[in-house]
Amino acid sequence: MKKVIILLVGLIFTAILLGACSENSSSSEVPEGATEVVLWNPFSGGDGEFFNGLVEKFNGSQSDVFVNSIFQQNDEYYTKLITSLSAGEGPDIAVAHTHVLSELISGDLIIELDEFAAEEELDWDEFNQNILDATVFDGNHYATPMDTHALIMFQNNELLREVNLLNDDGSIKMENTPEGFIEFLTKLKEELPDGKIPFAFGSKGGGLYWLWWSYYSQLGGESMVSEDPDNPEYVLDLEKAIEAANYVKSFYDNELIPLNLASPTSDFESGNAAIVSTGVWDTGLFEKSENLDFSPLPIPNVFEQNGTWGSSHTLVLPTSQNADEEVQKAAVQFMDFITDNGVDWAEAGHIPAKTTVVESEEFKNMPNRTEYAEVADYVNFIDRTTYARGLEDIVARNLDKLWSGEATAEKAFSDLETEVKELIND
Amino acid sequence: MQDMKAFLFILPFFVVYIIFTIFPVIKGLEMSLYDWNLVKKLEFVGLENYQKMFGDPHFWRTLWNTTLFVILTTPTMVLLSLGLALLANLNTRFKTIFRSSFFIPSILSVSVISFLVIFMLQPYNGFVNNFIQSIGINMEPFWMDDKVLSWVTIVMVTLWWTVGFNMILFLAGLQDIPESLYEASEIDGATGWQMFKYITLPQLVPIGRVIILLQILASYKVFAQILLITDGGPGGATRPLIQYIYEVGFTQNNLGYAAAMSYALFFILLILSIVQLKNQKQEEG
Repeated sequence: MKKVIILLVGLIFTAILLGACSENSSSSEVPEGATEVVLWNPFSGGDGEFFNGLVEKFNGSQSDVFVNSIFQQNDEYYTKLITSLSAGEGPDIAVAHTHVLSELISGDLIIELDEFAAEEELDWDEFNQNILDATVFDGNHYATPMDTHALIMFQNNELLREVNLLNDDGSIKMENTPEGFIEFLTKLKEELPDGKIPFAFGSKGGGLYWLWWSYYSQLGGESMVSEDPDNPEYVLDLEKAIEAANYVKSFYDNELIPLNLASPTSDFESGNAAIVSTGVWDTGLFEKSENLDFSPLPIPNVFEQNGTWGSSHTLVLPTSQNADEEVQKAAVQFMDFITDNGVDWAEAGHIPAKTTVVESEEFKNMPNRTEYAEVADYVNFIDRTTYARGLEDIVARNLDKLWSGEATAEKAFSDLETEVKELIND
Repeated sequence: MQDMKAFLFILPFFVVYIIFTIFPVIKGLEMSLYDWNLVKKLEFVGLENYQKMFGDPHFWRTLWNTTLFVILTTPTMVLLSLGLALLANLNTRFKTIFRSSFFIPSILSVSVISFLVIFMLQPYNGFVNNFIQSIGINMEPFWMDDKVLSWVTIVMVTLWWTVGFNMILFLAGLQDIPESLYEASEIDGATGWQMFKYITLPQLVPIGRVIILLQILASYKVFAQILLITDGGPGGATRPLIQYIYEVGFTQNNLGYAAAMSYALFFILLILSIVQLKNQKQEEG
């Protein structure tokens, strides 16, 4: 008995120790005389590396302002941000995705930037209009967009060349129609060596929502929930939604995408997939694998119009009763700096928000970036509604019923409609 | 004076207990009566949240999912932990190995065991599927994406992960059985099976009861391993009640309704505990 207890106690202590080691914190020394600006960001991995690089570059570029950038766990980022801000305990500046802006504004958690922007000479005209539009509410700018990160496609040149589906200029041999893309993938499936995947993509969750949304946008679908914050309405174009969903489903039914791939990006990274659709943020990742000969390109626009899913990282100023105007001004200076240095941010794969940056020689000279920079003009941002975060779960879960064969598109969308209406009290 | 001293000793714990357990419980009750989002309290709605709950198909569906998990794991857990405890109690040279190897999974955090499982069970290049194929069975089971198999996976993982603790409880129970009982029965000529049936099992009933109660309570709170392994999928087939509460509260921004559902779960657990404790008393009396 005694031995058992000693063993138990020992193991519990080990468990506690292991748990304690996983926690980390960062706090930097503020140089004397500098105004400290506390910033929260959700960036890990490659994004985190490049973002911290930008912060350091800013801190090194002058001595008046010191930005203290704090990483907050990605999964719980918005829960933490929203609860902290409403308790008045938040940061001085924060990163936020465009789809959360409505929620932040309706909760009175962030302030509009126009006054500070004018003072600090942050020029809205330098930004891409499509991206900027996602951050303007009632004619006021509430956020400074850093980028747009959209769903794009990547091709493995080596595999495509092997099956003779690559033109001399590096583009893929296909007709830009819904049938043309299917035909192209079918050829891949037939001619690729055994074990190679024609099109790598996951079978559940958020990623499929993005792919469906891209085709829904290409068919002319605009939104799901109307923007009115007080009386939002369910405005999904059912016919287009079903057509887009069935189109995506046909990839699985025809075994062009193998079911339930655990990690489509790794399949592509290791050279086992001819095509993958993922966000621009994976460009930086794929560039790191030396033996991979790949090119990025927009998702083929096979329907009536150009469209893809995308979001944007923005910087916002939280509301605070005892806000220090010096700190807020410093934060706006930082916004201007970080967007001017969009090329550094583009290293991660994102498309810079400032047109002036995208048109610069420096950006144009970057490999694997200009190929898809055009999507910034036609990215269809998901609905601007205070319910955006809840909407994402609901859409993904109901669409999953379609891919897993549990329901038809008609049934999935009728379930989705009931749930979304319940959510928005329509 | 004695009481005063005792009070001082429990004070540090008591303060923490009040702030982090009692206060949130009361606050939760208040919340459940309001329309309340992450930002602030909006308006008093009385019992509206509870009313909504009774008519909400997702509440019933997820409550059923959780209950199914309890039904699947509780009996298997009791049998498995008893079996392992008997094995670990044998006087062999593997005694220490058995004890530690059965217990080790319990010290790992839920994210570690979940990622291990995802890694082992993933299709096409996961260990388990490759193994199945290497012994000549030409199948590609989707352990985490099939409606039935995902339940099998979650139950197996939970058993493997948490069986160690229950095994330790049974082991302690086994070692508390007086040696004299076995000696006496040996003199009377009892066989090994008879000893097990008439001495070991009856002696383990009290600890078995505790294990069942703890297991039911713990299983009703299942959340993290499901969230990480299947995310409640496919299409909500494995979504437990706590995940639904979490989604309603933190992504759909409706803390009031989430609190009401938490209270429903609380009452279910309370009733189950009372029934269990009553039963126990009756039998003892």
